[in-house]
Amino acid sequence: MDDKARVGERKTAPKSLPATDEALRLPAVTKKAMFPLETITAKPREQTPSVGQRATRHDGRLHGLGQTKYIDDMSFPGMIHAKIKRAGVAHARIKSIDVSEAERMPGVMATLVGKEIPVNRFGPTYQDQPLLADDIVRHAGDGVAAVAAVTEQQALDALEKIRVEYQPLAPIFDPLEAMHEDAPKVHMGHSNIYSSKTVNKGDVEKGFADSDYTFEGTFSTQMVEQASLEPHAAIAEWDPNERVTLHSSLGRITLGRADLARVLVMPINRIRIVATVVGGNFGGKNEITHEPILALLAKKTGRPVKGVYSREDEFISSTTRHPFIMKYKTGMSKEGKIMARTVRLICDGGAYCSWSDTTLSKACILSAGPYNIDNLRVEACAVYTNKTMTGAMRGFGAPQVCFAYESHMDDMAKELGIDPLEIRLINAFREGSLSPTGQVLESVVIKDSLLMATERFGWKEWKK
Amino acid sequence: MVDITITVNGEKRITSVPPETTLLKLLREKLNLTGAKLGCDAGDCGACTVLVDGVAVNACLMLAGQANQREVLTIEGLADSQKFHPLQKAFEELGSLQCGFCGPGIILSAKYLIDAHPNPSVEDIRKALSGNLCRCTGYTKIIEGVAAACRKIAGATDKAA
Repeated sequence: MDDKARVGERKTAPKSLPATDEALRLPAVTKKAMFPLETITAKPREQTPSVGQRATRHDGRLHGLGQTKYIDDMSFPGMIHAKIKRAGVAHARIKSIDVSEAERMPGVMATLVGKEIPVNRFGPTYQDQPLLADDIVRHAGDGVAAVAAVTEQQALDALEKIRVEYQPLAPIFDPLEAMHEDAPKVHMGHSNIYSSKTVNKGDVEKGFADSDYTFEGTFSTQMVEQASLEPHAAIAEWDPNERVTLHSSLGRITLGRADLARVLVMPINRIRIVATVVGGNFGGKNEITHEPILALLAKKTGRPVKGVYSREDEFISSTTRHPFIMKYKTGMSKEGKIMARTVRLICDGGAYCSWSDTTLSKACILSAGPYNIDNLRVEACAVYTNKTMTGAMRGFGAPQVCFAYESHMDDMAKELGIDPLEIRLINAFREGSLSPTGQVLESVVIKDSLLMATERFGWKEWKK
Repeated sequence: MVDITITVNGEKRITSVPPETTLLKLLREKLNLTGAKLGCDAGDCGACTVLVDGVAVNACLMLAGQANQREVLTIEGLADSQKFHPLQKAFEELGSLQCGFCGPGIILSAKYLIDAHPNPSVEDIRKALSGNLCRCTGYTKIIEGVAAACRKIAGATDKAA
């Protein structure tokens, strides 16, 4: 039989795809057409007015239909599941890790410990964090070993068979105690303080001398977990040309590729990260977490490996918002003008640096508030403790100091018997004000905003 | 293994799963219905909400075996080829969802409410959604979306009568 007879002759030319937007917009599905055909999206190149129009999200429809594919909604042929064993102790030296029993459990295809990772250190600022603790555990959420098994349940069962022997070390939890010279050290070195910043402006001593009153206040904020509804999730897969693809809920894929290249000791062009719709980030998915572990397990087993954090993993081992201790001292004139201010910030960074350095800088610059202060000194430091590490979370240090300086402002207004709005109007930035770091500010409308807002929500009526 | 006969979105499905399998795992992993999400696996976040015999339940807390011989509605069964459910339409138009992870659960919780109370107050809506967490929206637009859907349904019924 010749080729033509076998495939049959093509009688009519194939219809080209309809060129309408609707036809292209429909996702391919195996189920019977479950997608309504109407769209409320503008046609390509159609001019629509933008101001005053309601804008719909491009992904809003699929969200409502339950058709958005997050990482955990995807699977690949032969895919297996990975789970990570958490240390459960705050500070200890690892004497031994025995995975032999876990490896014999049903369904288990591979295990991984820190010593098998080519470069077991990463971090966006300092590379102080192991992917799996290999020598010292620095907080209870540190991973110590990982298992890949055919089902999630088998992986969880195998975790219980991993034997880790610890030699306990003295933990340190309080950031103030951690600053003492003789406190236990979380990392090697002479001190737990790993970052300090200073802002100096004008002459603080003279400012306080010129003040009529001095006020002091100490404020503190707690650790907050981003708690995005979708847990951290990723799927790693290798191709026969030794290239790895990661489908990940990671928010910063370029940074992630660079980190992966470093820890796996691979050229970056052999690493591909596919980001999908993220089910909430809030800063918590800005750096790699378990991606290299999944990649190595996938390489060991030759299978795609999926890893999804449990909610407990999210709380104990992913980054959180930094707790701050903030000491404010402000000199005031009789009229309610701020003459001088000193601020001391202590940022409890937890076990690893992550984005603490960036957070501290931002907190430092913003700690004086949007107020004209000619004489200012800010001293800030970040401290290691044996707690869940802290990282990026909405605002990078700004919400913490905002809570402190505005509370301080209210306290002072009360003491002086000045209206809280008035004291802010007296001190607020105006056109041409100098920021704490010396920038000249332009387009400053803070007073107008304050007046308009207080009028709208009825500040005067509320006060009565 | 437990044998399960279950009607999902109007379609009879027969399968068998290990006894510890939750309804959520059955739907997501066996039946490939990934609309219901796993957020906490402890019944706190409501991302896994589905309707079992018309009642909103956390699918992560119900064993697959308990759903045997019952009728389950997931988000995939809410829209048909002809039209959206008014809730889905309202949520899309008002931008009620942002990351969308909580969406399927919220829409089904809201459906459970308005099936029984077609004209709920804002307080009723808040109460009905109290088991569904959302970290993006602050709930305002979600509540607006449910209210808008109720008005739409009421309008359609008035016309019919």
